[in-house]
Amino acid sequence: MAGGGADAVETAALCCAKCGKPAHLQCPKCVELKLPREGAAFCTQDCFKASWGSHKSIHLKAKLLELSPGNEQDATSPASSWLYCLKKGQARTLKMPNFDWTGTLRPYPISKKREVPAHIEQPDWASDGIPKVEPNSDLQHTVEIKTPDQIERMRETCRIAREVLDAAARVIRPGITTDEIDAVVHEATVSAGGYPSPLNYHFFPKSCCTSVNEVICHGIPDARKLEDGDIVNVDVTVYHKGVHGDLNETFFVGNVDEASQRLVQCTYECLEKAISIVKPGVRFREVGEVINRHALMSGFSVVKSYCGHGIGELFHCAPNIPHYARNKAVGIMKAGQTFTIEPMINAGVWRDRMWPDGWTAVTADGKCSAQFEHTLLVTETGVEVLTARLPTSPNVFPWIHS
Amino acid sequence: MEDDEDEPPLAVAITATVDHVISQPSDTFPPVGVTVITGYLGAGKSTLVNHILKTQHGKRIAVILNEFGEEIGVERAMINEGEEGGLVEEWVELDNGCICCTVKHSLVQALEQLVQRKERLDHILLETTGLANPAPLASVLWLDDQLESAVKLDSIITVIDAKNLRHQLNLHRDSSSFPEAYLQIAFADVVILNKVDQVMADDSGNILEELEKEIRDINSLASIIRSTRCQVELSKILDCQAYDASHVAHLEALLEQNKSLTTRELHDSGVRTLCICEPKKIDLDKVRMWLEEILWDKKYGMDVYRCKGVLSIVNSDQLHTLQAVREIYEIVPARKWRKDESQLNKIVFIGKLLNEEVLYDSLRACTVDNC
Repeated sequence: MAGGGADAVETAALCCAKCGKPAHLQCPKCVELKLPREGAAFCTQDCFKASWGSHKSIHLKAKLLELSPGNEQDATSPASSWLYCLKKGQARTLKMPNFDWTGTLRPYPISKKREVPAHIEQPDWASDGIPKVEPNSDLQHTVEIKTPDQIERMRETCRIAREVLDAAARVIRPGITTDEIDAVVHEATVSAGGYPSPLNYHFFPKSCCTSVNEVICHGIPDARKLEDGDIVNVDVTVYHKGVHGDLNETFFVGNVDEASQRLVQCTYECLEKAISIVKPGVRFREVGEVINRHALMSGFSVVKSYCGHGIGELFHCAPNIPHYARNKAVGIMKAGQTFTIEPMINAGVWRDRMWPDGWTAVTADGKCSAQFEHTLLVTETGVEVLTARLPTSPNVFPWIHS
Repeated sequence: MEDDEDEPPLAVAITATVDHVISQPSDTFPPVGVTVITGYLGAGKSTLVNHILKTQHGKRIAVILNEFGEEIGVERAMINEGEEGGLVEEWVELDNGCICCTVKHSLVQALEQLVQRKERLDHILLETTGLANPAPLASVLWLDDQLESAVKLDSIITVIDAKNLRHQLNLHRDSSSFPEAYLQIAFADVVILNKVDQVMADDSGNILEELEKEIRDINSLASIIRSTRCQVELSKILDCQAYDASHVAHLEALLEQNKSLTTRELHDSGVRTLCICEPKKIDLDKVRMWLEEILWDKKYGMDVYRCKGVLSIVNSDQLHTLQAVREIYEIVPARKWRKDESQLNKIVFIGKLLNEEVLYDSLRACTVDNC
């Protein structure tokens, strides 16, 4: 993909499409149509003139795409496979969109939408991408105390979610694409009789989130192959027997440098420490204090835009649990509540940016980010980690001695 | 557009800036204040907005007109920038983000996008229609300082039609439903009593004084401004910093008038203002629990809408400010106590079923001598 120095502007690496010399000119029509500069830059008017015959066909292609409503290809059209994602998943486009990318990672085309067998119970967004029950529910304002029946169903669903994540963990290696990981997650979920909650949730195009390196969360599985040295988070949520179970882990791909290892381990510990304070009577606000303290002490920063959330028959509901300190989160933990804690910790600054696809959150400085998540149940005396590791879970974290 | 050009156009120089989304680093500019303008239909909200835009003030102000249904969301906003007297209307499509696991509500994200698109926005006016209760909006806009957001809730302004206020307040006296007017007044930082010319034409100034008393009985913290056609001095309504924990001066002046803040005659609505005072220093942990029991657990059966105060905390030389909107509250050290100051706790409550004695006693239980 685009070369050049880490923080250099893309133009520095542009070569003339005709002769290969450094390029500082581009076609004004391309500018007008907002087409990428790669392959459309020239060193002189002469080279541009010489390329014109073949170059102008790019405009034609873009024009054809323009003719379909919304300027991009409709995501539901039969040809919508291996295209770049736009508008939160509602559209696809042939060309990689323009953006001032914060790091070296780029989006890749995504595959066709995966099907879920009709006999599997689906949440209300599966058909049209729009959750209807969730946004209007009272559970967005009050924290539910789960009934014993709900708790039992959540135990089962969370266990399935754990097994699905473990299946993904087993295939992580250099050379595998995040799309292939998504296929594994999708298959494992459906085989267990569950629906992969992220699929079509507010139009999200895939069955899990895969977040590589500088991606903080909500990365969309695509055609990019994992590389030796990458870190990748896989976030799985399963919907089964009417309830959701949500967890994620960050994995090492091949040989990862020491700094990234420390980041991932610290993030794991942040979640561990947060879970250790969960019990009736503790303020939700405290979670952020604990996480923040540990992260800052290790020289890292805490992502502030995304938070832990209540979960159950709804995917996301009250309470909102920020991971940063000095937050105004309302409420106190009570037995029977189920929620997630999912700290995102960055090697550099805490700020996040959003990719043109409308989902992928990346660090503003392009440095790595790690995350871990569990679904928790508050018990009379403490906490039950519903998505806990099983004896069969793969041993991929060197600091866990099993 | 013709595609069949045989002659290529003149190539253009590639500039260093990328033509797509560039966001301004928000820490280079102070956050842009957001003023929520609420009030009944016809009270004069639009008149107020137009007045703000047309007045020669050299500020770039964006106005967002919003229809709030059951859900607070913004899909499209009309940006009306009054620049040197000229009005530019522009429909902006805002990204309706999903609320899943994001800290900032989609409305806030939309407002931040707005600030980052335009050069130097000085203020945002959020004109609401169909919103009976401004509290949910205030909760959404009152962000944690930690988020270092590009926008900041500045104040809630309620525009009231002086001619119709009595009628609106009376409307539900005999029924069980709760008039919106009470809520809009209770949550206001500024009340604009508009159309005073129409009232004074009929009667003497007494009616206006009575109206102001009714408003103060509900909410004695809000400043009341009389106006005709909403011609109000901008300095009185912009940059109020009503939700700024460090903006103590305004709060302190308010709390100087201790006695007069408490409503003596109970309004029919049951909504009133109550100010309590405690001279002894209080324990921070105890006062947090005290407040949480009142705001979160509805202990003592009281329904608190807003709360503002100055606290004297044991083992601290800092004056602490207290601010609450419904269940969301914040206690923050604001500045050092001055040597000559009497370090008192003063807290003002606005709400229903407020029990003065219970509040005094329970606050006293938080003092340090009382273990």
